[in-house]
Amino acid sequence: MFSHVTVAIYFVYVCLGLIGLGIALLFYMKLKHLSTLKKTEYYQRKHQDYFKYLQTQLYEDQELPLPPGKLVPLEKRIIQDKLMEWIEQFKGEVRTRVIELCYKAGFVDDEMEKLDSLYFSRRVEASYRLGMMRATEATPRLLDMLRKQRYSPVTTIIGRAVSKTADQESQLMEMLGYMLKHGKSIHNLAADVLLETRLDSSKILLQLLDHENPDFVKVALVAMWGQAVPEVIPALNRLSVDADEQDVRAEAVKLYLSSNPVLRDDTIKQLMSDSNWEVRAAVAKSLGNMHAAGSIPLLRRAMQDENWWVRNNSAESLAQLGETGFELLCETAQRGSGLERETALFHIEKVMSEGSDHRALDQMVTFNKKRLIYDRYFGVIETSKPVRKVAAVGGDYSA
Amino acid sequence: MPNSATLQTSIHENLYQSIEEWVKETKPSVYGILFLYASAGPTNLDAQVRRILESQPNLDFEVWSDGEANRQVVLLPELTLDSVHFQGLLLKQRLLEVLPNLDLRITLASFPEQGEASQAVLKQMSDSVMKSEASDIHIFTKEEAEAAKNRILIVDNDATIREFLQIRFELQGYETYEADNGLVALDLIEKLKPDLVLTELNLYGIDGLPYIHHIQQIHNNQAPKIVVLTEQKVEQTISQCFERGVDDYITKPFSPVELDARIRRCIQ
Amino acid sequence: MRRLSLYVKLQQLEEITLLRDILLIYGLFAIYYVMSVNVIYFSVLALSFKNIWTVYRRSVFSKFNTLAGSDLVPSVSLLVPAYNEEVTIIENVRCLMTLNYPNYEVIVINDGSSDDTLEVLTTEFNLTKLTNPEMRNSIDCTAVTGVFYNPEFPNLYVIDKGNGGKADSLNAGINLSHYPLISSIDADSLLEKDALIRMARQYMENPEETVAIGGDVRIANGCLIENGQVKDFSLPNKMWPMFQAIEYLKAFLGGRIGWSSINGLIIVSGAFGLFRKDYVIAVGGYRGGYPGEDMNIIIKLHRYMLENKLKYRIAFCPEAVCWTQAPESYRILASQRQRWGRGNLKNMIENYDMAFNPKYKVMGLMTMPYNIIFEALNPYFKITGLIALVGYVMLDMTQWKILLVFGLINFLSGYLFSIGALILEEIAFKRFIKISDLWKMLFYGAAKFFGYSQLGTLWRIQGHIQFLRNNNSWGAMTRQSWKEKSDTAKSA
Repeated sequence: MFSHVTVAIYFVYVCLGLIGLGIALLFYMKLKHLSTLKKTEYYQRKHQDYFKYLQTQLYEDQELPLPPGKLVPLEKRIIQDKLMEWIEQFKGEVRTRVIELCYKAGFVDDEMEKLDSLYFSRRVEASYRLGMMRATEATPRLLDMLRKQRYSPVTTIIGRAVSKTADQESQLMEMLGYMLKHGKSIHNLAADVLLETRLDSSKILLQLLDHENPDFVKVALVAMWGQAVPEVIPALNRLSVDADEQDVRAEAVKLYLSSNPVLRDDTIKQLMSDSNWEVRAAVAKSLGNMHAAGSIPLLRRAMQDENWWVRNNSAESLAQLGETGFELLCETAQRGSGLERETALFHIEKVMSEGSDHRALDQMVTFNKKRLIYDRYFGVIETSKPVRKVAAVGGDYSA
Repeated sequence: MPNSATLQTSIHENLYQSIEEWVKETKPSVYGILFLYASAGPTNLDAQVRRILESQPNLDFEVWSDGEANRQVVLLPELTLDSVHFQGLLLKQRLLEVLPNLDLRITLASFPEQGEASQAVLKQMSDSVMKSEASDIHIFTKEEAEAAKNRILIVDNDATIREFLQIRFELQGYETYEADNGLVALDLIEKLKPDLVLTELNLYGIDGLPYIHHIQQIHNNQAPKIVVLTEQKVEQTISQCFERGVDDYITKPFSPVELDARIRRCIQ
Repeated sequence: MRRLSLYVKLQQLEEITLLRDILLIYGLFAIYYVMSVNVIYFSVLALSFKNIWTVYRRSVFSKFNTLAGSDLVPSVSLLVPAYNEEVTIIENVRCLMTLNYPNYEVIVINDGSSDDTLEVLTTEFNLTKLTNPEMRNSIDCTAVTGVFYNPEFPNLYVIDKGNGGKADSLNAGINLSHYPLISSIDADSLLEKDALIRMARQYMENPEETVAIGGDVRIANGCLIENGQVKDFSLPNKMWPMFQAIEYLKAFLGGRIGWSSINGLIIVSGAFGLFRKDYVIAVGGYRGGYPGEDMNIIIKLHRYMLENKLKYRIAFCPEAVCWTQAPESYRILASQRQRWGRGNLKNMIENYDMAFNPKYKVMGLMTMPYNIIFEALNPYFKITGLIALVGYVMLDMTQWKILLVFGLINFLSGYLFSIGALILEEIAFKRFIKISDLWKMLFYGAAKFFGYSQLGTLWRIQGHIQFLRNNNSWGAMTRQSWKEKSDTAKSA
């Protein structure tokens, strides 16, 4: 029996020892951190004038002056941090000048050395800082690190650093390859990382669209949102017809439509009966913008689609398509049933409640015409009287 | 005559503020202000100036300085621009008679003819007299006065950005103020009536779009120009901002040179 | 006679010896039980230590400034159930509307409040009732009486519905939500500006497999909060919140970082979590009727993903911080803990089949057994063990040492765990600046074992008893609403 108690007593001793160690460690860490904080504050104050002076000199032609005097490592780091903040915020000539200053002050060399550190954390930190300083010569080393790195948050850190430092398109391609090789669907993240580059992104995106690796194509497609790049339209058109992968095609169609192309009727018909709901929804949405009255019957049918987004976008487009479209919407609300009716009602109310901006004459005219139709179907509105509410029929799992 | 009582040049630490107060107290219907600067001038420059002015019949005047002997301000109540200019010419001529080698610069203006003599305007006048290259008398125009008046409120959560912008704009002669959150910004806009608000959208205290809306409401017809400088690149947000009457939208990272140009365009 | 009485005495003595042996054996068993609980704790803590470096790197060496303004980040619907929150709701909604996030909507669900929650919201934001709002009835919930909106605040919706409990409100929110990710947030909690984007970044690192991410919950009592920003961080001044602050630190940093690294997380705090909407709908949404809906949804997600053999992870994002008001009075704290005990037991009973079932992998072989044996049943083993040892010592006073050992094991191992959590905090976050805060933490970390821990055990048992009583009247069981909470009890 006693042996059991002995085990327990040993357990107690071990705990006691570890507690002692832990408390000592805690105080050591805390005190160290506090002293760093204090010194940081001191150095920040010390160099305040230098920072101010630099900021007045950023636009002059002469070289930016180095920080005065001999610097301890913490001081260097504080100055470097400040410069890196500026690099991140600025574009153009000013940024280049700050980067040059980083080189001249030896910050880049210091970090390059740290890439060889035995500690993993130091190496990661160095790559992060090299990225911030746009140190071109670090790119091959960073790519090497990225290649060997197993997938973790560090992958993104290094990937971002490569994207910031790279001065050749091939390096970016290599970086994308390493990031995507782990088979995770991180296209959005990869696109964000890719867009950090200083190189002309539209050229790279064009290259990616033609790439054999579908993952690369996806990255390009998501990266192109919000970037008007007319040169890529033909490639998109090709992708929206041929791409093997469902989501690649959907993305391509969406993008292609967002460029407001002129579509042939049979193309529209074909796209509206696509098996992918994202495609149908995108087409339904764009039909409203195109003001193609011929598409009204298609939209009417799409109001019965099983997917909420398709129904919603179709109704929205109908509401945009003048009186004919709006009248059809009213008709659906009155004669239709179930989900299509609900969608129609919602959008009718939306149009009515939005009212019109009375400063714009043409808007007022359109609105009043719609209101007339509304009154014919639902009676006169007095301060947005609600249309009889319809209880939902069945469940809808599409969104 | 009031000037006979002030034999000594009065020295004011806050010169511009004192002038503003003087205007408030004496309420002249028109008044001229003349800045006079002579690099390496004699220490008794003020006495010389006073002597010349006193020699003129029926002239009401004050000679002030902020302690620098070679820089003087002459306040001339009840004089319109042409008389102020004439006094300037006279002063210059007489001074050069006594001190032929004097390198004299004069900038003058008459108010309210040429705007409002706010501290910013006075500072601008004083700067202009120091910087002026030609020895001709410089008449400070209304346009110059207006340029001096431009106040910019910088709103950003990030102190680095605020510091940078403040230094930058002050170099260009704007009057700058800063706020680190949306609520403080709204307060300041109400109090200071800045000409332009340069703001981040992503702020503590209030959501970006309602915030823009609020700014527009503060001074009914005289809403300040609004330039957004933000990290936010979402297209929908950008278009919503323009719909709400934002004058310009710039995304970070930004080019300071381009920012200057856009600010200038907005203000003019 | 003499002989007989001696015989009886001997027999009594024998019986006593037997009783003593049984007591000792049980007592030793309890000691081993406590030691194994702690060995498990420490293994989890070791995993946390292994992973804290990744957390540290991710939070220090990467920025989210480009993401925070980009269309590439997935849109999120924030669901904020509110029951009788008229005093604080405006400030909370304002704070939620200023998050550093590109594309999101805030959906406040007024769960049939008896106060003016709805009115203060509609007045403040000038909301009007939408006619024919479009609700997708993906999940059943109490009938919605109205949806309120103002185009001036394009990202804010308020749902008004009959009282149906927190889970029911979340389901209603899901039905209105427009975006693929949902995030549940307590109406009395305050999100840090960057909390959501940090979480989304973690989501983007593996979007296909991530079904849920939990945030770190911290105690806001004692902090200075201004404009939705924690301006000055310091520890609570009062006793009850202080104990909870340590508890939270232990649970979140010491526990959840470790559990999440082996994908064995059993709970994502209801105060702040991010979910994939499609999977939440697939498992039927939140379960009403009992507290503990936050644990329940996670167990259901585990079950669903494992039964359908889908690759998945339920992650924990310790750098995404949500500040919550901890109960400051004994009564409210007790009722909160009893509620937790009740919900916990219900979840264990409902899902006992997962325990020891290799089909459910880490969940079945580690998380569930751990939670049943070492969490739910913990109070019983400890108390009976203590009683056995006390009885044993009463019979043989020379053995008093064993009681001491039992006590020490409980105390020291628990304290060691607290210190481990504090070190984790110091490595990755360093939120406590003052050295006095450290002393305070160390003091309360120890004091916790003299009274507070025992109360915790008591509350848990009380919760279990409540559960069993309710269980008798199962059919008549009304929906568990937040009524208990209405006395300003703030749940975590």
